[in-house]
Amino acid sequence: MTAARTGWLLVLPALLLLAALTVYPVAYGIWISFFSKHSFFPEQQFVGLGNYAAVLADEEFWRSLELGLIYSLTTIALQLAIGVAAALLLNEAFPGRGLARAVSIFPYVVPTVVAVIIWKWLLNSQFGLVNYLLGIPVSWMGRDWIMVSLIIVSVWQFFPFVLLAVLARLQSIPPELYEAATVDGAGAWRRFVHVTLPQLQSVLFVVVLLRSIWMFTKFDTPWLMIQGGGAETYIRTLPIYTYQRTFAYYEAGRGSAMAVIMFLMLVAAAALYFHFWRREEQL
Amino acid sequence: MLLFFTAFPFAWMIATAFKRSHEIFTTPPTLLPESLTLENVARLFEQTRFAVYLGNSVLVATCTVLVTLAIATPAAYALTRFRFRGREAISATVLFTYMFAPIMVIIPFYVLMRTLELTNTRAGLVLAYTAFCLPFALWLLRTFFQSIPLDLEEAALVDGASRPRAVLHVVLPLALPGVVATGTFTFILAWNDYIFARVLLAADELKTLPVGIADLYNASVVDWGMIMSAGMLVLLPVLAVFVFIQKYLVAGWGSGGIKG
Amino acid sequence: MKTIPSVAALLLAAVLSSAQAQKVIRVWHTETQPNSQEAVRNIAKRFEAKHPGVKVEVEALAWGDLEGKIMASLAAGTPPELSHGQPITCAALQSKGLLLPLDEVVQALGEANIWDQVKRVCRVGGKQYGLVHAAGTSLLIYRKDLAQKLGLKPPRTWADLVANAKAFTTGGMYGITIPGDNLFINILLGELLKANGGIFFDRQNRPQLSSRPMLETLEFIRDLTRYAPPGWEGHGYLETFTNLYGQKAAMMYQGYGRGAGLIEKGALPSMANAEHFDVWVKPVGPSGREPAAQVDEEPWMLFKGSKNPKEAVEFLKFFYQKDNYLEYVQTVPIHLFPITKSLRADRDYQATPMIQRWKSWIEVQEGYLNNDQGKPTLVIDWDDMNSKPYLMEVLGSGILRDMVMDVALENKSPREAASRAQRRLEDLLKSKGYLK
Repeated sequence: MTAARTGWLLVLPALLLLAALTVYPVAYGIWISFFSKHSFFPEQQFVGLGNYAAVLADEEFWRSLELGLIYSLTTIALQLAIGVAAALLLNEAFPGRGLARAVSIFPYVVPTVVAVIIWKWLLNSQFGLVNYLLGIPVSWMGRDWIMVSLIIVSVWQFFPFVLLAVLARLQSIPPELYEAATVDGAGAWRRFVHVTLPQLQSVLFVVVLLRSIWMFTKFDTPWLMIQGGGAETYIRTLPIYTYQRTFAYYEAGRGSAMAVIMFLMLVAAAALYFHFWRREEQL
Repeated sequence: MLLFFTAFPFAWMIATAFKRSHEIFTTPPTLLPESLTLENVARLFEQTRFAVYLGNSVLVATCTVLVTLAIATPAAYALTRFRFRGREAISATVLFTYMFAPIMVIIPFYVLMRTLELTNTRAGLVLAYTAFCLPFALWLLRTFFQSIPLDLEEAALVDGASRPRAVLHVVLPLALPGVVATGTFTFILAWNDYIFARVLLAADELKTLPVGIADLYNASVVDWGMIMSAGMLVLLPVLAVFVFIQKYLVAGWGSGGIKG
Repeated sequence: MKTIPSVAALLLAAVLSSAQAQKVIRVWHTETQPNSQEAVRNIAKRFEAKHPGVKVEVEALAWGDLEGKIMASLAAGTPPELSHGQPITCAALQSKGLLLPLDEVVQALGEANIWDQVKRVCRVGGKQYGLVHAAGTSLLIYRKDLAQKLGLKPPRTWADLVANAKAFTTGGMYGITIPGDNLFINILLGELLKANGGIFFDRQNRPQLSSRPMLETLEFIRDLTRYAPPGWEGHGYLETFTNLYGQKAAMMYQGYGRGAGLIEKGALPSMANAEHFDVWVKPVGPSGREPAAQVDEEPWMLFKGSKNPKEAVEFLKFFYQKDNYLEYVQTVPIHLFPITKSLRADRDYQATPMIQRWKSWIEVQEGYLNNDQGKPTLVIDWDDMNSKPYLMEVLGSGILRDMVMDVALENKSPREAASRAQRRLEDLLKSKGYLK
C-alpha cells in the first residue's frame, strides 16, 4: 500500500463525518440565504441577493455587529492577558501548585448554564454578594452594566482555555534553553522575551485564532444571560440577532444571510491574520 | 487574586447551597451558613429529575470522547506523516467549518438527524457533538503529532519495526498527553453544550444537565438554594475527573523523553 | 402441522403489539415549576397504565425555548402531537393550516361547561383549534399594610397609580416593580393600550404607534418606571416577585396568581398573607373607559402531521378529567384557573387551602374574566386573533420593547420612539406581505 493511500484511508472516516454533519448543513444555510423563506413554513421564493441587501441596510444589524465586536475583542484580549499570565505563574514551582492549577482551570469545565447562573446570583442587584461587598447598588443586568457582566462571565469561563494550552506548551520547553540563556546573563524578562515567547508563538497563534472565532460566534453565554431577565437590547450581539431573525422574525433566509456575512467576515479576518503572521515569521 | 477570581464564585455557590431559604435573602449576606442544611439538595432530588440528567450527561460526554478520539487520532496522524494530495486543503476546510455560526447549523442539522431517525436519541447527540468537536480535535492532535520528531519513528522503522508497531510503541506514548488533552476538551464541549441538546432532544428522560438546569432555573429562579445545590452537584464529578486528568497530563509529559 | 399457524399467529400478535407499543404521544408544555411538571408526568403515567401500547413523552420547556423548538420540529416535518403555545402563536399556526381542531375534546368536556372567554381563544369558523390548559389574569399586586399606613386609595386612573407609586417610594423601598424582558413588556404595552382605548393596527394592518392613546401609554410607562428600582429593565419576571416579597418594592404591575405561592415560600412568615399582599383592580388610562388585564391562557395545540393525533385527543380528554385536572391546577392554584365551570364549582377545588387564603386575588381575576376585560398578549379585540396572524412576529421582533426602552431609558420623546418603531413594524409587515 502506498503512503498516500494509507493516509487517505486514515483520514477518510473523519472526512465523511465532517462532510455529512458539518459541510452539508453549512451548504444548506448558504443555499437558503438566497431565498425569502419562512423559518418553518415550506414556501420559499428566490430573491437573489435581496436578503443581503436588506441585512446591510438594517441599522440593527450594524448595531449588533458593533456590540459583537466590543464583546469579542474585549473578552479575547482579557482572556489572553489573564490566561498567559496565569500560565506563567502556575508553571513556577511552589507548594500547592497542583491544587492552584486545578482551581484555575476549573471554570472551563463548568457548563455555561451553571456559570451564568452562579454569576447572576453573585451579581443579583438586590441580594447579590458583589453589590453588598462593593457597597453600591449597581444593577448588573440593566442597561449600563449588562455588557460588563457578560464580559466578566465570559472571561471567567474561557481564560482557562488559554491557560491550559499555554501551560502545556510551557512544560515542553527544554530547560536547556533557559540554562543557556541564564549562562548568557539574561534576566527574567529577557528570558521571557527571547526564550519563552518564541516557543509560545505557535500555540498562541492557534489559541488566538480559535478563541476569536468562538467568541465572535458565541451564542449560549449571552443567550443564557438574557433568559429570565437581562436587558437584552444591550448585549444583542450578532449571533443573538441572527438567531432572533430566524426564530422570532421567522426569516430563515435573512437569518442565513446574516450567518453567511458573519462567516465571510471571519474568513477575511482569518486571511489577514494568516498573511500577517506568516510575514512576521519570515522576519 | 487569580485564585480569588476563579474560586470565589464556587465558594459562594456552595455556601448558598447549604443555607436555609430565608437566610439566602438576608442583608447583610452571611458568608458562611448559620446552620448547614441539606434541604436544598433534598428538594432537588425530590422535586426534579436531577439524577437522570446527570447520568445522561456522563454517558453522552464519555461516548463523544471515545468516538471523537477513535476517528480523529488516525486522521491527525495521517495529516502529519503522509504526503498526499489535498492534505493542506483538508486542514483549511476544518477551520472554515468553525467560522459558520453554530446556531445556523442547527436547523439543517435537525432535519438531517430527523431523516436518519436520530432525533430524540442519545446516539444522535453523540454524533452531533462528534461532528462539532472533530475539527478542533484534528487541529489539536495535529500540532501534537507535529511536535514529535520524525527521526524517532524512522529509527524504529530502520530497526525493523513495522509502521503500526512504531506508531504504537514510539509515537503514541509521546502523543499521549495530546490525546488526553484533546479528550478533555472534547469532554468539556460535550458536557457544556446547551443548544444541540435543547433542539435534538424532546423526552425529559433524555435531557442532559445543561438543559435540565436551564429549565430548573427558568422555573424557579427565586429558589436560589436549590439552583445552587444543583450547580454544586454538577461540579463534583467533574472535579474528580479533572484532578485525575491533571495528574495524568503531568505524568504523560514526564515519561515523554524528548520534548519538541 | 397445526402448530405452525398458531405459532405464526402468536408471532404476528407479538409483532402487532410491539408495533402498538411504539405509539408515542409527544407533549410539550410550559408549566416548568417542578410540582407542575410532576403533575403532568403523573397524569401521563396514569394514562399509559390505562392505554397499554401508548407512551407519553412529556417535556416541560422554558418560554424562551418553546417557539424555536416548535419551529425546528415543524421544519423537519415532525411536530409533537401536543404543545402549549401563546394564543397568537396558535392563531398564526392555524392560519397556515398546521393545526387540527380539538372539538372532540370540547364535546367531551361539554361545550356549555367551558367558560365563554376561554372558547374565544383560537376558535376559527366554529372550530376550536386551541384549547386553553388553564387561565389566569395579570394582577396589580400591592402592599396592603403599607398602603393603609400611608392612607393610599385604590387607583382609578393612571395618574392615581403614579401618585401611589411616588408615595410608596421611601428609604430603600421602590414604588413599583416591572419585569423588563421582551415578553412582559409586550404584555404590559398590550394591556395598557387597551386600558387607554387604543389599537396597535388598523384594518389595513397599518401600525398605529403614533396615535394619541399609544403616546399617552408611553408617557405613563416613563412616569411610572421613575419609581421602579434602577436597572428594572434587567429584571426577569420571577425576579420582580423577589423584589416584592423581599421588601424592595411596594407594587407590582405585571403580577400573576403564581405570586401567591412565591410569597408564601419566600416572604417573612408573618407577612406571607393577603393582609400584606393584596390586589387592586387595574386603573384606566386618560383616553380609556374600562380596566384591562392580560389573560395568561396558553392553548393546547394539536399538530397536523404528527404521528398519533387520535391518541393525543384521548390524552387531552384524560387530562381534563376531574381528578387529573384538579391535581394539575392545584400545583399553582391561584394562577391556573380551571377552564371548566364544573371544576370551578367543585367542592374539592373550592376547598383548596390556598384558594381559601387568597380569596381577593381570585375575585379580581374572576372580575376581569367575567367582564371580558382580559385579553391574550397583544390582542385588543378578539377578532385580532384571526385577522392579525402576524402578532407572533411582532412580539418576537422586540420592536415594541425597544420603543418602550427608548422612552423609559434613552430619554427619547414618545413621538420619536414611536415613529422609529412604526418604521420598523411597517418594514416587518411589508416583508411578510401583510402591508402594501
